[in-house]
Amino acid sequence: MRTTTKQKIAFSVLFLSTLMVILPVVFVLGTIIKNGWQGISWEFLTSMPRDGMRQGGIYPAIVGTVYLVSLSIVFSLPIGVMAAIYLNEYARDNLLTRLIRLAIVNLAGVSSVVYGLFGLALFVTFMKFGVSILSGALTLAIMNLPVIITASRESLANVPYQFREVSLSLGLSRWQTIRHSVLPFAIPGILTGAILSLARAAGETAPILFTVAAFYLPKLPASIFDQAMALPYHLYIISTQIPNIAVKTRYATAMVLVGISFTMNIFAVIIRSRLRKKKKW
Amino acid sequence: MSKIITNNLSLWYGGFQALKKINLAFQEKRITSIIGPSGCGKSTLLRVFNRMNDLIDGVRIEGEVLIDSADILDGDFSDLVKLRKKVGMVFQRPNPFPLSVYENIIFGLKVHHLVEKSEREQIVRESLESVMLWNDLKDKLHRNALGLSLEQKQRLCIARAIAVEPDILLMDEPCSALDPQATLKIEGLMQRLKNDYTIVIVTHNMQQAARASDDAGFMLLGELIEFDRTVEMFTAPKDKRTEDYITGRYG
Ligand SMILES: Nc1ncnc2c1ncn2[C@@H]1O[C@H](COP(=O)(O)OP(=O)(O)OP(=O)(O)O)[C@@H](O)[C@H]1O
Ligand SMILES: [Mg+2]
Repeated sequence: MRTTTKQKIAFSVLFLSTLMVILPVVFVLGTIIKNGWQGISWEFLTSMPRDGMRQGGIYPAIVGTVYLVSLSIVFSLPIGVMAAIYLNEYARDNLLTRLIRLAIVNLAGVSSVVYGLFGLALFVTFMKFGVSILSGALTLAIMNLPVIITASRESLANVPYQFREVSLSLGLSRWQTIRHSVLPFAIPGILTGAILSLARAAGETAPILFTVAAFYLPKLPASIFDQAMALPYHLYIISTQIPNIAVKTRYATAMVLVGISFTMNIFAVIIRSRLRKKKKW
Repeated sequence: MSKIITNNLSLWYGGFQALKKINLAFQEKRITSIIGPSGCGKSTLLRVFNRMNDLIDGVRIEGEVLIDSADILDGDFSDLVKLRKKVGMVFQRPNPFPLSVYENIIFGLKVHHLVEKSEREQIVRESLESVMLWNDLKDKLHRNALGLSLEQKQRLCIARAIAVEPDILLMDEPCSALDPQATLKIEGLMQRLKNDYTIVIVTHNMQQAARASDDAGFMLLGELIEFDRTVEMFTAPKDKRTEDYITGRYG
């Protein structure tokens, strides 16, 4: 075979593979939008469900998801970043730290239902937080930690070693060096990782199933010790448990869920490119 | 007067001995160059003086290093921060932080809370003036330093180091990333700076050592072979190996 022919074949195969990745996504998004956009309205987004959830809106589910995601990041970001700093800047390369690293990588791959059961056992039952926003947010936080630690460690490791040397040579202590010469330059990467992990958490059902999610609540949660509705679980319920519900309501709910993840992803990209422009080397 | 004195200084990286019983004395407000083939321990020696080798696992140091008569290797000597303020360092690659010119210069001061905000402008100006960058950069203080030319970056790094008011400047091949013209300009700057600072420069460039330094040391495989006035060493080397090296018969 001639080289140019081979070249063409290789190119086509690679291109087709890329297409195979993109096509299903486009198809799924297309279906959701096609069936759902008619269901989206201001009322749908901002009112309580009515009539056995067949009518009205999904406001409490949106609010619940926002609460859960925000509270979970409050727990996972500081702890994740601190762990990453320890692993990347302080820990020596020995058997123990290698085991820890291996464990973190593996934890990131554990199925989310396992985190759900873990949350049920630890937060709901053992720590007696009950089925509540607090338990759900903590469960999501635990699930996100490995991802946040890994992303943060990578961004820390990407900060040139020279920055640390210069900083120390100017008389900064090790902690001052991390605080002033390393962390500021790792922040874009850390934030991106955190937001992406949150976007994933916002869409998960399994971790919140036993720890926070309510089938239906007539009013909004008043504190973090209340149960809450959440979008992914709400979607699951209206798709499987409630007969004769309008197709457009289901798809509109899915659209809102996808929309939230999508917005967060866009947000991550913007933050990164903005901060990168300022702090690029 | 001797600013830095080493007595039987030896250093090991794990089992490998990189410095072998080095004895020398660096004079105050002079430029001393350290020359020698690659891997002979020049950078290692330089990094003993601000204890940058502490960062590396498995480093062991023996002997004495006196700076202003205090042994910086002594077990009781714990004030690394003070040492590193006194002993500034300029690196091989110009490496400003990806911040503005202004922020680069006040970087150390800001963290150390050494100065009031109102004094910062003054210090930025003085530091830039002493590296002869003020006229070029006075209108660009808030531009990102990464946009500067290599030579300007290296000058900025020198300014950043002297902003914390050290006595000693360690320079590890400060010109190796620069073209010959920029190199000459940095050398000119060093001549100016030696009125105020004790300068130790590591270089691969024999002409640079000959042109720019007052004293010179020649190292080989971790040993200090010869240490003398630069003129003496380059006109009448006492050791055969020094002669071979400076006449180019060595690596
Ligand atoms: N972190 C380290 N661990 C182990 N060995 C090292 C380390 N750093 C340097 N060495 C070794 O110590 C010796 C001296 O290194 P050093 O960097 O001081 O040489 P140099 O004279 O500065 O060389 P160059 O001119 O190439 O910069 C070399 O043989 C080097 O391989
Ligand atoms: Mg070197």
